[in-house]
Amino acid sequence: MTAAALETRNLTRRFGGLTAVDDVSMTLASGRLNAIIGPNGAGKTTFFNLVTGELRADAGSVTAHGVALTNLPPHRIVRAGVSRTLQIKSVFGGLTVADNVRAAVMAHEGVMSPFRSILSYGAISRRVADLIAEVGLERYADTKAQTLSYGDVALLELALALANEPKLLLLDEPVCGMGPQETERAVAKIKDVARRTDVVIIEHDMEVVFSIADHILVMAQGAILAEGTPAEISANAKVQETYLGAAEDED
Amino acid sequence: MSAAVNRAALLVLAAALLAVPQFLPLLNAGFWTNVVTEILIWSLLATSVNLLFGYVGLLSFGQALYFGFGMYGAALAVTHWNAGFWGGTLAGIVAATLMAVVAGVLAVRLTWHYFAIITVVFSLIFYFAAMSAKPITGGDDGLSFSAPPVFDAFGLKLTLADTVTQYYVVLGLTALCYGLLWLILRSPLGLRFEAVRENDRRARLIGINVYLCRLTAFILAGAVAGLAGALFAFFGRYASASYMFYHVSGEATVWAIVGGVGTLLGPLFGTALLIVFRELVSTVWENYLFAVGALTVLVVMFAPRGLAGLWSDGLAKLSGRSASQPDPQAGAAEAPR
Ligand SMILES: Nc1ncnc2c1ncn2[C@@H]1O[C@H](COP(=O)(O)OP(=O)(O)O)[C@@H](O)[C@H]1O
Ligand SMILES: [Mg+2]
Repeated sequence: MTAAALETRNLTRRFGGLTAVDDVSMTLASGRLNAIIGPNGAGKTTFFNLVTGELRADAGSVTAHGVALTNLPPHRIVRAGVSRTLQIKSVFGGLTVADNVRAAVMAHEGVMSPFRSILSYGAISRRVADLIAEVGLERYADTKAQTLSYGDVALLELALALANEPKLLLLDEPVCGMGPQETERAVAKIKDVARRTDVVIIEHDMEVVFSIADHILVMAQGAILAEGTPAEISANAKVQETYLGAAEDED
Repeated sequence: MSAAVNRAALLVLAAALLAVPQFLPLLNAGFWTNVVTEILIWSLLATSVNLLFGYVGLLSFGQALYFGFGMYGAALAVTHWNAGFWGGTLAGIVAATLMAVVAGVLAVRLTWHYFAIITVVFSLIFYFAAMSAKPITGGDDGLSFSAPPVFDAFGLKLTLADTVTQYYVVLGLTALCYGLLWLILRSPLGLRFEAVRENDRRARLIGINVYLCRLTAFILAGAVAGLAGALFAFFGRYASASYMFYHVSGEATVWAIVGGVGTLLGPLFGTALLIVFRELVSTVWENYLFAVGALTVLVVMFAPRGLAGLWSDGLAKLSGRSASQPDPQAGAAEAPR
């Protein structure tokens, strides 16, 4: 039996009186594209922050592909093969696209020689070029990241997240804020990546979720409300009531 | 094209610096040579600020502490251990580096104003400690010593008493220091620094140990400030606790920002501009600090990336491209939120 892509036991995080993630135990099987949906404030992002070590859990444990991640610092979790993108896209704005990706590849390879030029690493430069090509940003390689369009920033962030050859990739609202064309491009890329990496995606766009997810978890008020295939979730009355119906009103 | 211009400008700068003792004394024997010597030394302190603020995004107001340790390291090694010039310089760098390790382990856990405050607190603690440890440090009066020769063998004796020799020794060490930093800043370590400066959260999420990275920069900055302090001690044959005070740190921060942080040589030009300005104005107006302040405000308002920013914008204009090549095809249709 292969280990689950992501497994949590009794994961809990409180902010003052608010329990943002409330005793969450889940097992997400490997080889599926998993999605987490739920209304704003349900605790989805906080859940990711607990997995990546950016927030400490008040209780509970996290395991990815059999590796215990609980209480590891974020950079160690990244080195254990877990990557993520952020709800608010986050790259190195003042650096070129190539240097963005190079920084990520070099961090992954653990090179930090203080006296060799960054351009003297042939294998790394090739991998940087491959990653840039993979997300289709070749013509922006020497452009500063802060001048990219929103959709391109998201693709660059994806390239950064792929630089550590992740076994588990967490995507927080990857198409939020994108136009229809950009969304299409990003969704295609995510599907592509999901063929070789386990992906967990948080997404508000129901059309996107139901078209790409193999397995859906519904979160509300810090807890898991329901879990199942897209067909099961759309037939679930409890979900209809608390979320799917409400989402229509939101927009 | 701008790379070629920059290379040419660097050659001109190097040639000009090498020629300083030949030309400046014509104006006023020795005086201006010493001013440039001083600029070179102080520019290293500004560079120390730049390494932190310009490369890992930490604004320090306490770099004078490591300058002070560099001064005393050199002065005490010469007076008590009979160290020569090179031994004294090394002692200064080592003393400053050790102090930076101790302070850095605590300080780089913090960022922004918390970091700024703790750097000031550290420098104040040691300022008062040095002030009160009069038997060792000379306190307010400082510690005078006579500078050992720089080189004394094969019948050749080079001493700092000769203004021109002193200038070339300082120029050589300063250039060596900038050369090493140039290597470091274009290396994988330098790229790590920049990643941390640009976005420390993303830096963590690509697997960088941000704390260690900032600590490395902090220690490096301490060593550079220590070299500056040691050279300044030899330059004045004197060490004093008053150089640890935070107004010295503040001045270095101003020089760095006026020159342009995040560029290797920006702080050198910032230091040069403000020290030359001070030398010129202070002879005719005793409240020259107002003028320095006004000049600083002007630069910060109209050239927020400092002199280095003005330079690269100017180059970009000359070569007919804007500095931040916006892409004609992107952005317009799908505006960022
Ligand atoms: N750092 C924080 N400090 C305090 N409260 C927080 C913090 N992060 C999230 N929260 C709160 O936790 C709840 C869950 O937030 P979040 O995980 O961002 O929800 P989602 O991503 O599902 O929209 C919200 O009520 C939010 O206000
Ligand atoms: Mg969220």
